[in-house]
Amino acid sequence: MRFRLSLLLPLLCATPASALAQAAIEGRVTLLKTRSAPVMNKRYEIVAKGGVLATNPPLAVVYLEGEFPPPRVPPLAQLAQKDLAFIPGLLPVQAGTRVEFPNFDDLYHNIFSFSPAKRFDLGRYRPDEKPVPSVTFDEPGLVTLRCDIHEHMRALILVLATPHFVMTDTDGRFRLGGLPHGRYHVRAWIDSKTTTPPRAVDLTAGETIRVDFP
Amino acid sequence: MSRARSIRSFARGLAVLFVLLVPISRVAAANEDALDRLEETLTFATPDAQARARLSGLIDLEQYHFQLPPPGVIRATGNDLFTPRLTLFLDAQLGSQLYLFAQARWDRGFDPQPAHGRVRLDEYALRYTPWPDGRLSVQAGRFGTIVGNWTPRHGAWTDAFISAPLAYEQLTGLWDREAITNPVALLRWSHVRSGLPAAITAREKDLRIPVLWGPAYATGFALSGDLGKFGYAAEIKHAPVSSRPETWEPGQVSFAHPSIGARLRYRPNAMWNLGFSATSGTYLTPAAERTLLPRHGRGDYRQITLGQDLVVAWHHWQFWAEVFEARYTIPVVGDADLVSYYAEVKYKFSPQLSAAVRWNQQLFGEITDRTGPVTWGKNAWRLDAAPAWRFTPHTQLKLQYSLQHGDTGARAFTHTLATQFTLRF
Repeated sequence: MRFRLSLLLPLLCATPASALAQAAIEGRVTLLKTRSAPVMNKRYEIVAKGGVLATNPPLAVVYLEGEFPPPRVPPLAQLAQKDLAFIPGLLPVQAGTRVEFPNFDDLYHNIFSFSPAKRFDLGRYRPDEKPVPSVTFDEPGLVTLRCDIHEHMRALILVLATPHFVMTDTDGRFRLGGLPHGRYHVRAWIDSKTTTPPRAVDLTAGETIRVDFP
Repeated sequence: MSRARSIRSFARGLAVLFVLLVPISRVAAANEDALDRLEETLTFATPDAQARARLSGLIDLEQYHFQLPPPGVIRATGNDLFTPRLTLFLDAQLGSQLYLFAQARWDRGFDPQPAHGRVRLDEYALRYTPWPDGRLSVQAGRFGTIVGNWTPRHGAWTDAFISAPLAYEQLTGLWDREAITNPVALLRWSHVRSGLPAAITAREKDLRIPVLWGPAYATGFALSGDLGKFGYAAEIKHAPVSSRPETWEPGQVSFAHPSIGARLRYRPNAMWNLGFSATSGTYLTPAAERTLLPRHGRGDYRQITLGQDLVVAWHHWQFWAEVFEARYTIPVVGDADLVSYYAEVKYKFSPQLSAAVRWNQQLFGEITDRTGPVTWGKNAWRLDAAPAWRFTPHTQLKLQYSLQHGDTGARAFTHTLATQFTLRF
């Protein structure tokens, strides 16, 4: 036994303490049935390319509520414009995150937002323009992005006051890992009108608990 | 009505409009999400999303105050005019190759006028794009002209101004229901000779035509394609770009004298867009047949128009310019030429506030009458300024002030004020 412990001790020392303290939540969110199928207005784009735009299946965001310190270094995220669509269509970020908006199409886009959480208008910028236009999202809330040129383009940035969040897959399944131990609340954002009531969770280091949002 | 009284009357109308707009915009802001949801509700798709359709629309409330005679193609006997408009759009994608669109309107006439409201189907067309790279598309139906670069942005939501550029609405001295038989008639119709009674000026307004009549929703066929930095389009329509809205109606469609048009587009990058257009067709309607000179047909009275256009956009700046050179070939009279151009710049100060300024000018060439060379129309210029405020992504208010010189009746200058509230859904 002493031999085994002596073997395990170096292994334990090599493992970060934070990892040992981490907990996880997994489960499933019942997603909305709707599937957004955008239709492009090409009435006067007589030389526009043909094609059908990709559909946006509904997704949800699961996040942990609590008192968390702001990030020491502002996180960076990207939300691209490609094939006349925002990719991804839903982007959860922690408050303080700087989001870059690269344009991968060979034409202009003009991203803007009227949302109270962040009001801005990036104007028209070339695909190869440097630096890539970006916006820092400081206030928690939901930001609806639109394109002033292509009215079918729509995306959401969910700004959260927590570093602990995850997006579900298209079946609603999620796994939120790397969580600190303690008592917290977990919620699921489903759409702009629907966020589930908070569910109290007791997280224990090294354990995974299951939470479903019907 | 005195000028001071009429301006007070317009100010009162504007105040009433603003009083109405405050609750409207508040309701719109509070229901922003509801309008987004309405958009989703009005979008339909099959389970595999290969067939999908979307209904959308605009509600416009326009108020004009002008000095008589009314500017452009506005028809009115008083100084003020209120024109509400409901526009419904259908966009349908059937697989990756078929695209169908339609536009229906309820308003008091295609051009602002004090008429009873009525419903029209202004556009309906089917487009077939066989290859995904868009090298070729074929379109048939009733649709806006491919000539120039204003038609793609002529909607109330996208146009920075309430009125069209001068080339698209300033009336020339040419009539489309009667053929000119001598130079003196053309000069009389053009009101080149001063001292015409106001009643004649007003009556003849309904007879005259501009270089292009708005988006020219005539019926026909078009080919178009995207070849990298180049694009092309060609159309054959039943009526020319100068044809009046009444001639676009289905009962008026005849291809006895079709109009043809073509456009080449060069776009070196997203910032620059240059276009070259040409169109040719008879400017006379069938009603003019009875007035033709002997041994001449309608096809001898042609309008040939060349156009060059430019769009430059960078960050919050947008710049548009178009130049049209029009030649009217008129038996006995000869060629009557004119040049019409405009340059327009818009700047977005914030997501909500933008402002635009446009300079328009129309210059006539000379024809020869008994006294020698004489300018065959009244040169005109117009300066437009238009601030706009977007309350929400679905509601917008535009104001426009225009100062015009030339072809303005007995006045040297005329002033026009206009405001337009638009709700988009």
